[in-house]
Amino acid sequence: MTDDDTPMTDGGTDAEARTDGGPPATVPPDDETPTWSDRKERSQGLAQLTYQYFERSRREDEDLRAESTYVERDVLGFPTWPHETLRNLAITSFFVGIMLLVAALMPAHFGEPANPGATPAIILPDWYLYWSFGLLKLNPLNPELAVLGGDIVMSNELLGIVAHGVVFGVIGLVPFLNKGSARRPVEQPFWAAVGVTGVILAFTLAALAIQNFFPISLDLLITLTFVLPVLGGILTYAVLKTMREGYMYDLNRRYYMLRPPK
Amino acid sequence: MSLKKQDEMDHNAWLKNQDLTVIETAFLTTLIWLDKRLRIVDYLELLETMYYRANLQMPKSHTEQYDLDNKFWYWYPLYSLGSLSIVAYLVAAVSGALLGFYYAPSTAGAAAQGDPTAAYDSLVMIMTDVQFGYMLRSIHRWAAQFMVAAVFLHMLRVYFTGSYKEPREVNWILGIVLIGLTLLFGFSGYVLPWKQLSFWAAQIGVEMALATPLVGEWAAQLLFGGFTLGQATLVRMYILHVFVLPFVVTGLIALHVGIVWVQGIAEPH
Repeated sequence: MTDDDTPMTDGGTDAEARTDGGPPATVPPDDETPTWSDRKERSQGLAQLTYQYFERSRREDEDLRAESTYVERDVLGFPTWPHETLRNLAITSFFVGIMLLVAALMPAHFGEPANPGATPAIILPDWYLYWSFGLLKLNPLNPELAVLGGDIVMSNELLGIVAHGVVFGVIGLVPFLNKGSARRPVEQPFWAAVGVTGVILAFTLAALAIQNFFPISLDLLITLTFVLPVLGGILTYAVLKTMREGYMYDLNRRYYMLRPPK
Repeated sequence: MSLKKQDEMDHNAWLKNQDLTVIETAFLTTLIWLDKRLRIVDYLELLETMYYRANLQMPKSHTEQYDLDNKFWYWYPLYSLGSLSIVAYLVAAVSGALLGFYYAPSTAGAAAQGDPTAAYDSLVMIMTDVQFGYMLRSIHRWAAQFMVAAVFLHMLRVYFTGSYKEPREVNWILGIVLIGLTLLFGFSGYVLPWKQLSFWAAQIGVEMALATPLVGEWAAQLLFGGFTLGQATLVRMYILHVFVLPFVVTGLIALHVGIVWVQGIAEPH
């Protein structure tokens, strides 16, 4: 940066014009760069630990970079601006147009005024809460959850709430259970199958919520609610496993050029 | 050489030397007049800079750089669902603010059970009397539907492309929170017209809250203003819908997008 005749303001990227953003515009730390503890003396407690960690993590980063034979790629992801944003604008205008069109063609429904004295025959939330409403209608399952045929452990309403907790909890745990660099469903048929099971379950629960519309017995409906998703999951797994063989050759060829195995 | 100071930037003299039409003269005179006072030229420079930035050659995307076929672009709409849910959110915010001018969160005015209340009447007023009101309500409702749909599909896209994986767990959790809040947004909005379905949906809400152990009664008091539905419920749902949730959800969306910005979009493969 000092012996170069062209002035640089971006931390010394090479003079050649680049269209991919180039390396990060920060000055890489060297021996003369003051360490965190040099900059400010932190000698005790959490502050010390924090700064020690910063130093360690930075050193680790440098070491890994020095050891690595991996050629750094210029683009690690899509730049959000302007790349993503501009592309999205086209879709955005289209989307708003569709929204206005649908609003004009299908005006919102309006019903009777509220009457606390008269329960309507059909109570339904908006479509996006059908799955949730379906979870509230699991009460026929409740006696089966009782321990050793005793009294039911929890009220029917509580069962519904616990079911919600389970759903949200499972979804929240996914990134902690599924790790690794695989991205496509064919690469991990199991997790794709889990996803398909979840999607079908949302639909069958919605069907359970509007059970009045189905001319089949409630027992059968509840059984189907849980059996169909599992069947769907198994089917997905089988299909993806079969596809995998043919897919993997091509996929591996490209994929491991980008991410060479350690 | 005259003693009179030469004005290099004598725009009026320059204007006189030109051979201009009346329209051009009027335009330039106005522009000079405004520019002397407001320095419009600075802002034009800004605009120009932005124009050239936007028209720079795009950096190569991951797929272009590594020749991952053009197949990916068939799937591109799925990668803009998050952005689309924000767009729907903005449309809902604008139309909602306009609806708020006319809506009254009040259960007053019902002589007997089942009579229209002030809230219900204000909706009837919006739909029948207010210019463009019928369309406005329709836009607000459909924007909400589109937002929820886009959010769900966005979540599915993130799941099936594995974009929630290792460095992005926090954003996945944040996304779950945002879906929950979106549903709460929808629910509180559903209650506001105070029609039959609104009332009984809220009734189910209260029952769910009351069934929750430990915090249930407290939550019912906080969200629904008591164990039976009435004026308090409506006002609380209203404040939740137009004051609390907009701030919280907007903030969380900003955080969600900020984290995406910092971490980069997960590479599609």
